[in-house]
Amino acid sequence: MDFQIAVNNSLVDVREGETLLTALRRQGIKVPTLCHMNRFSPTGACRLCVVEVEGKRDLITSCSYPVEKGMKVFTNTQRVIKARKLIVEMLLSNHPDDCLYCERNGNCELQWLADEMNVKERKFFAKKNPYFPDGSSTSVFRDPAKCVLCSRCVRICEETQLVTAIDFISRGNQMRVNSAFNKGLNVSSCINCGQCIMVCPTGALTDISHIEKVQAAIDKKKKEVLFFVSPSVTASLAEHYGLKPEKNLGELICAALKKIGADKVFDLGMASDINILGEAKQLALRIKNGAQGPLFSSCCPSWVKYVEEFRPELIPSLATTKSPQQIFGKLLKTWYTKQRKVMPDSLYSVAVMPCVGKKFEASREEMTHKGISEVDAVLTIRELMRMIRTNGIDLRNLEPVPFDEPFQGCSAAAWKLGYAGGKAEAVAQELFESMKTSDKETFKFIMPKNIAGRRESKLTIGKKTFGFAWVSGIEKANSYINQLIDQGRTDIHYVEVMACLEGCAGGGGQPINRLPEKPRNRKKICQDMEKINHWANASENSSLEKLNRSLKNSPDVDNPETYFHTHFQPREVLK
Amino acid sequence: MQPSIEPILEKFPNKQREDLIPLLQKIQDEFGFLSEEIITRVGAYLSISVNKIYGVATFYDNFRFGPVGRYHIRLCQGTACHVAGSTTLLQELEKQLKIKSGETDKEGLFSLEVVSCVGACGLAPLIEINGEYFTGLTLSKLTDILNSIREKDQTVYES
Ligand code: SF4
Ligand code: SF4
Ligand code: FES
Ligand code: FES
Repeated sequence: MDFQIAVNNSLVDVREGETLLTALRRQGIKVPTLCHMNRFSPTGACRLCVVEVEGKRDLITSCSYPVEKGMKVFTNTQRVIKARKLIVEMLLSNHPDDCLYCERNGNCELQWLADEMNVKERKFFAKKNPYFPDGSSTSVFRDPAKCVLCSRCVRICEETQLVTAIDFISRGNQMRVNSAFNKGLNVSSCINCGQCIMVCPTGALTDISHIEKVQAAIDKKKKEVLFFVSPSVTASLAEHYGLKPEKNLGELICAALKKIGADKVFDLGMASDINILGEAKQLALRIKNGAQGPLFSSCCPSWVKYVEEFRPELIPSLATTKSPQQIFGKLLKTWYTKQRKVMPDSLYSVAVMPCVGKKFEASREEMTHKGISEVDAVLTIRELMRMIRTNGIDLRNLEPVPFDEPFQGCSAAAWKLGYAGGKAEAVAQELFESMKTSDKETFKFIMPKNIAGRRESKLTIGKKTFGFAWVSGIEKANSYINQLIDQGRTDIHYVEVMACLEGCAGGGGQPINRLPEKPRNRKKICQDMEKINHWANASENSSLEKLNRSLKNSPDVDNPETYFHTHFQPREVLK
Repeated sequence: MQPSIEPILEKFPNKQREDLIPLLQKIQDEFGFLSEEIITRVGAYLSISVNKIYGVATFYDNFRFGPVGRYHIRLCQGTACHVAGSTTLLQELEKQLKIKSGETDKEGLFSLEVVSCVGACGLAPLIEINGEYFTGLTLSKLTDILNSIREKDQTVYES
């Protein structure tokens, strides 16, 4: 600590150069904020964070004001409280007030602020803003009427994701957040990462929900409803409900889904193993052919869309192995139907994912064959949690129910896909398994400590060394790739890119709360699950062998080599 | 075929972010409005996202995003006109023409623009249509003007 300032008449240690808000928060002093975002430069736009400083005529915004020697700060004078209350009342003046019917009811920063500021009646009556909701996207629903113009979505979309699909349009009382030419997110450059949903304080940005269509499929009983659950969903639910990472953790989710009405519930993890093996195989081939530049992972649909829109020159370097979700969907709608001797359209497949971009991925044309989509619906973790609540299920008091055959069991590697860096490690491990020269060689993949959001690691097999890197967040990915190119580096062979910071652990379909430790906790659970897993890596998953043998003999699989592959194409969007 | 904006772009060889507003201004002066194609081209040229440009351009009153109508109405909202009741006129115009400031009606007959003081405060409130001023307006005078334009436009098309 560098010096002290006075806060509410007691002395407080502060660091030179930090903002007043940072210093106050360290002391546990609560200062309301709205436009403030950790790790972003302050804008001072909403003025909710005002405090009084002795000798200053105006209240100052603590989020943008640096600490000064000799400062005397007051955080809860009547003047401060009145000013904050006025701001909240103004924000509420044109709000639709339909909290009861809002997705964010009970988890809304505007509700909390109104409560904290003791707002008891509508003070100002402004015209409700007349802008229509935008439901054109596959993933993100926007309702401008609930927007409080905090700018958090605009900034994360532009600064973290380099996409700028949404921005402030017009000014004054006409001001709103919208996509270019008010045309709708579906024709914009939006990559469906859902990071805007994660930062929105209100219900202005939410999922395009699939709950209703899934529920309808369950109720109609015309089709068999098959759920498949990503390991990272299990980890996140365990984190949320405080479940212990034990062997049968996933079986609790399975039990819940059965109660909700699922006919079958599968573990998606096996498809993750297939995906890892597929990408490792492509990597080995690429290395053998001496291809230029690294292979890029393609299991993140938002990263893929970004490449298709903004960096089409990288398309040939994207791994063409389908993502775990689509591998599983394809297996269900082809091979599995043959096994069961049923028609593909008698099955309704529902993926449960930590991601809203997966809703887009499921809707891609390549993921549909003869009018049958591989994946009929995608639920985010938020949506699953809502269904669990609606059905009155207490996850903590359930008898575990094993996942349905024949897709039981995944390796530890499948859990690695739940956090940033895990995919790179899993692929490295498989490359090692396929290239190692003797059984005495052991797999060593040391994770270096953070180098500004991206990490690199070396893998040695025999006399050869291969470079692996992982980076999350599109801005970071983009600048990392530029750097690789500018420096003419040839020592990196594989790059894992995840659009969401910290990978799927910070995915756009995760529960909404702005606690920075959440993604880390989820990662921790994934890693705990790895340790108690039966198979250490993807190629050890012995149930795959059986599947592969069966696939080879399946009439549906014309070419086992391309069966789990897809393709990408440049996209023209407004950008 | 639209004439190209390339000659205008060439006048801004530095491709700076600061070039955006003057560049848009020049384009609008020449073409009358900023189309989607134009904004997309400018975005590619200056390496700014189209959404950013659209956001910036909508911040100012003077940019248009579609062609003006055959009758372009400019309503003064300067202080004197405001005091003399121009807001009521604006509401009436928006109601009758079913467009907002900055828009053009479906038939391409009228378009509307709100401007600040045009320097004829003594004659407030006023509008200007294709260079002609209509001053000391009341709601009924305004309706008469719109009706007579509609009639005139009909006859032009019928003859
Ligand atoms: S989903 Fe991602 S890309 Fe789309 S608007 Fe939101 S932040 Fe931007
Ligand atoms: S949509 Fe949400 S995050 Fe975006 S400006 Fe409005 S309130 Fe803020
Ligand atoms: S949080 Fe400080 S001005 Fe918005
Ligand atoms: S205010 Fe309208 S002409 Fe001056």
